[in-house]
Amino acid sequence: MTIALATGSVLALTGCSVANTGTSSGADADTVRIVLPIEPTTLEPCDATLSSTGVVVRSNTTEPLIERDPTSGDLEPLLATEWEATGDTEWTFTLRDDVTFSDGTPFNAEAAAFAIDRAVNSDLGCDVEGQMFGDADVALEVVDDTTLKITTEAPDPVLPLRISFIEIGAPTDASAKVREPIGTGPYSVGQWDAGSKLTLNANETYWGDAPAFATAEYQWRSEGTVRAAMVTRGEADLALSLSADDGAGDLGLNYPNNETVALRFSGDIAPLNDIRVRQAINYAIDRTGITDSLYAGASVPADQLVPPGVVGYNDSLKPWEFDLAKAKDLVDAAKADGVPVDEKITIVARADQFPKIAQMTEVLQEQLGQAGLNIEVKIAETSVGLQYQVRPFVLDEGAIAMIVQHGNQAGDASFSTDSYMTSQAQMSMFGSPEFDALLADAATKTGDDRQVAFADALAYERDNLVQFAYIARMSGVIGKSAAVNYEPNSLSGDELRLAEITPAS
Amino acid sequence: MSRPPRNAVQLPSGGRTVAPPGTEAIALPRGESVADKKTSLFQLLLKDRFATVAAVVLVLVGLTAVFGPTLMGDLSTRQDLGATNRPPFSFSDGWAFILGSDSLGRSMLARLVVATQTTLSVALPAVAISLVLGSLWGVWAGYHRGWRETVSMRIADVIMSFPSLLLAVVILYVFSPSAANIVLILAVTRIPIYLRTARAESAELQSRTFVDAARTFGTKPNAIIRRHVIPVVLPTLLTLATIEFCYVMLAESSLSFLGIGIQPPDVSWGLMVAQGRQYLQTAWWLSFFPGLAIMVTTVAANVLAAWLRIATDPAQRWRLTLPRKRLLVRLPVKEVL
Amino acid sequence: MLTFLRRRIVSSALPLLVVVLGVFALARLTGNPASLYLPLNATAEMRANFTAKYGFDDPLLVQMAHYFGGVLRLDFGESLRTGEPAAAMALRAFPATLQLAGTTMLLAVVLAVIVGCWAALKPNGVADRISSFVSMAAASVPDFWLAIMGILVFAITLGWVPTSGVGGATSWILPIATLLLRPFGVLVQIVRGAMVSSLSEPYIKLARSKGASEFRVVTRHALRNAAAPALTVAGDLTVSLVNGAVVVESIFGWPGIGKLMIDSILQRDFAVLQAAVLLTAVSIFILNILIDLGYAGLDARVRPAGRRKKSSRAASVVVAEPKERKIHVQTTP
Repeated sequence: MTIALATGSVLALTGCSVANTGTSSGADADTVRIVLPIEPTTLEPCDATLSSTGVVVRSNTTEPLIERDPTSGDLEPLLATEWEATGDTEWTFTLRDDVTFSDGTPFNAEAAAFAIDRAVNSDLGCDVEGQMFGDADVALEVVDDTTLKITTEAPDPVLPLRISFIEIGAPTDASAKVREPIGTGPYSVGQWDAGSKLTLNANETYWGDAPAFATAEYQWRSEGTVRAAMVTRGEADLALSLSADDGAGDLGLNYPNNETVALRFSGDIAPLNDIRVRQAINYAIDRTGITDSLYAGASVPADQLVPPGVVGYNDSLKPWEFDLAKAKDLVDAAKADGVPVDEKITIVARADQFPKIAQMTEVLQEQLGQAGLNIEVKIAETSVGLQYQVRPFVLDEGAIAMIVQHGNQAGDASFSTDSYMTSQAQMSMFGSPEFDALLADAATKTGDDRQVAFADALAYERDNLVQFAYIARMSGVIGKSAAVNYEPNSLSGDELRLAEITPAS
Repeated sequence: MSRPPRNAVQLPSGGRTVAPPGTEAIALPRGESVADKKTSLFQLLLKDRFATVAAVVLVLVGLTAVFGPTLMGDLSTRQDLGATNRPPFSFSDGWAFILGSDSLGRSMLARLVVATQTTLSVALPAVAISLVLGSLWGVWAGYHRGWRETVSMRIADVIMSFPSLLLAVVILYVFSPSAANIVLILAVTRIPIYLRTARAESAELQSRTFVDAARTFGTKPNAIIRRHVIPVVLPTLLTLATIEFCYVMLAESSLSFLGIGIQPPDVSWGLMVAQGRQYLQTAWWLSFFPGLAIMVTTVAANVLAAWLRIATDPAQRWRLTLPRKRLLVRLPVKEVL
Repeated sequence: MLTFLRRRIVSSALPLLVVVLGVFALARLTGNPASLYLPLNATAEMRANFTAKYGFDDPLLVQMAHYFGGVLRLDFGESLRTGEPAAAMALRAFPATLQLAGTTMLLAVVLAVIVGCWAALKPNGVADRISSFVSMAAASVPDFWLAIMGILVFAITLGWVPTSGVGGATSWILPIATLLLRPFGVLVQIVRGAMVSSLSEPYIKLARSKGASEFRVVTRHALRNAAAPALTVAGDLTVSLVNGAVVVESIFGWPGIGKLMIDSILQRDFAVLQAAVLLTAVSIFILNILIDLGYAGLDARVRPAGRRKKSSRAASVVVAEPKERKIHVQTTP
């Protein structure tokens, strides 16, 4: 979910600090120690789509009804055993009957309905509501203890996907968020020394298999070098959000994190209002040079907004080739037609959004400049950068090419297109009615038709609109000490399942 | 009108001045230095090896700042993604890579040279602005005392307890991150340092006999401040400014670390250190050389300032005119006694 | 003395108010935090709800009145980020910073006095040159560079200390060593300058001629006289540590107020920022008053009678603002 990561990195910028280690460098066989880039601001389950919260909460302290397998992309049962569409707008979920919350409260359809209602329909301002549901509400009907019916306002073929993002916390105050929730997960919140560290303890009444570690200890450090150093020195078992140069060495594990970095154009403002200029920019970018030199080959040139494995991914699209001569020709052609190609285009980037964003900005400035365009760069603090990224946009500073990083973790292209591509999307600066119609049509389809329709729409964008210059498909680095076994997957930065971590010996 | 007393004993009390040990025992070669001040200042400089080296370093830095961007501006932005993070002394790639290349394959040498100008054009104006404003304000407040002094000191307290980072974020938000705005932030936040020092010195001076005398003769306050207070206070403030010069360069670097300092594609030493920290384990030279540049420049500035302070102080100048060996031998004996 | 104290406290109240008002107004100049707190694809309606909920669309004066109304009831608002009371967050973070700053300054002062005195005994001697050079170099290294290098060398390569965190005694070593260098470097220069001049004063000669030992001359007479400028500078340096050991706190994961402030600024967490600034401002004002008192104490006890100012005019107003408070700077020739 796109947004989870994006918003997460907003927070990553700041991050609270602190934690302790110090004396705990002697590894305790029953404890897994994890170092995060920032302290979670809350453990509230309905904010678990924030990656700083989700990485601790999701599938650890609380669980959703359904979860998506990050590798296969399939939805798998968790607190719900099965689900099916029982009408145009109605879905019926069958829930497990052997689950209790860690405080002993039974889990049933009533509890699930309460949690979903609180997350989606309330005025709490839950993050998951903003990311997955928008202004639309859902109607909930408790049929019996294990049966829950969910009715949407309009037909929604991907409702189960959306539901998989709602973590079910124990019934609590409906009008206030909770910092330390009660859930059904394999762990429960133990001690939280705000600023220093957070401990989770294994939930002894967990309905599934007991996890390998009795406790999990989270700390947070804002500098990647320090996180890597903690793993190297044995003060932590896992370090998240490293970059290739942080010094984790052999302990660093690369994994594709499904994030795509792209330049998003303000296509209504000259000179970016001419498609030839946008195409020229695409030809002028040496994608392989960027991925090889800045990311040591761990990331690859990107061809479209969504990564492989997402419904709607078009595998016939290839990254734009690097062809400076063609780029210059296009710019010249546009100039000949009276397009003011000398007007400045500002590349805007959000400081620290992802590793080496500043370097990438400078490379882009250089490469686009060689195509004959007048490029300036602006690296802005997150809050300022967001003014360029989301509506209402900054429109009085000339043409803007914004560096965006988007990760579709939901597995369906509609989550990307709704945010970035339709002409009214919150993060799209232009579009076309034809493209909007294609996307709207695709969104109603299911199965293979959906795949084909979205793939066609993405090809249309590339051929007829050029809203973006896709640059790189990113990868993440997790530092892992020799004391534990863990295999990172594309979700690891948003949802680090403690149950998947085991002692090495 | 009376001039400030030239005798060291009558200068402000405290550590600012060093009375020549056993003044009566040594014949001070004062006359000649007054006679031909310029030559002798230069000759004096040559006599002090440390100060000479410092002066040479500063002249080099200054020349680099003025001419560097013209000479190496293009080289400093030329990227080569195939030759990133080359170690220093990569002679095979030509002289430009004697200090290695950065994470985008640009010449470190050229980057350092171009950064000199940005660095100095932030640090020097920032120091100058806060020095002038803070000193004048402080002298004025200290001379008049009373409510002017109290109000000024409370304003200084306000600035000092105000989070300068917030000021930085606000200015960079409302305006945009540019060198000029960073100068503004650094200048404003450092005013209280000079304000307080100048006020204290001036408050003390205004009760001295020679100021009293001038006042009795009906000299206007502003004239007294200009003629009698400022000349005496200035050396202290200038020395303070040299120390502040270092602080300002470091503060600019810290702003870069927090992401709110000089922004690429501009480049300053502080920004280079901040960006290079990501590569400390893989390419130490990215942050080492700019850090070294900051250190060498500040140490040189401080050494030269300390020397200049003595050289321009008639009461202490004798120290520098003594043959070096004699100075070293003599002082311990006299002072430790 | 009590008069001075009372007047100082009264005259400090207004600046405090100015600081908080200034922070309040400036913080709001940095824009509506809605986009930071809402998902990127939040709808216009959600934005409007958020803005209305926290009153960011009210006129500044209304927001101010609302906030200060709360402050009068000791309600400092809630954090946008965590939903916790802002005052609690600030109070929780402050001790960590105070401990760090206090220990650092204590060490810096002790070390600087030792090195400074040693250097001052033989001005321009080898010790003087070396200590001067080292202290200047120490004060000119960027702290984040030093911190990361410290971690790489002493925690990873040598394995002597933990990388970061607030665990046992060893975890204090790196943050303190990093913070220490600049105050140490500056203070050495100050102490040395003040000592050089103290040692050449007539009353030192008098003490020596009375047969006092060199150690006694240095520690009892010269040093006490040199203490005043050092106190002033140490005070200013402490203020900068209390206000912002931001970089060191961030890198070492130290749960202090500097880190809290920078996070609050970048996250537009206004209530927490205001609470933190109020807290540090109050403590800085208290610190300033203590320094002035300390100086007055030193002045009364240590200054030899012959060096007192004779002007009655100066003496009569000296209470308003201790006039000796100044920085003595003298570096090596």
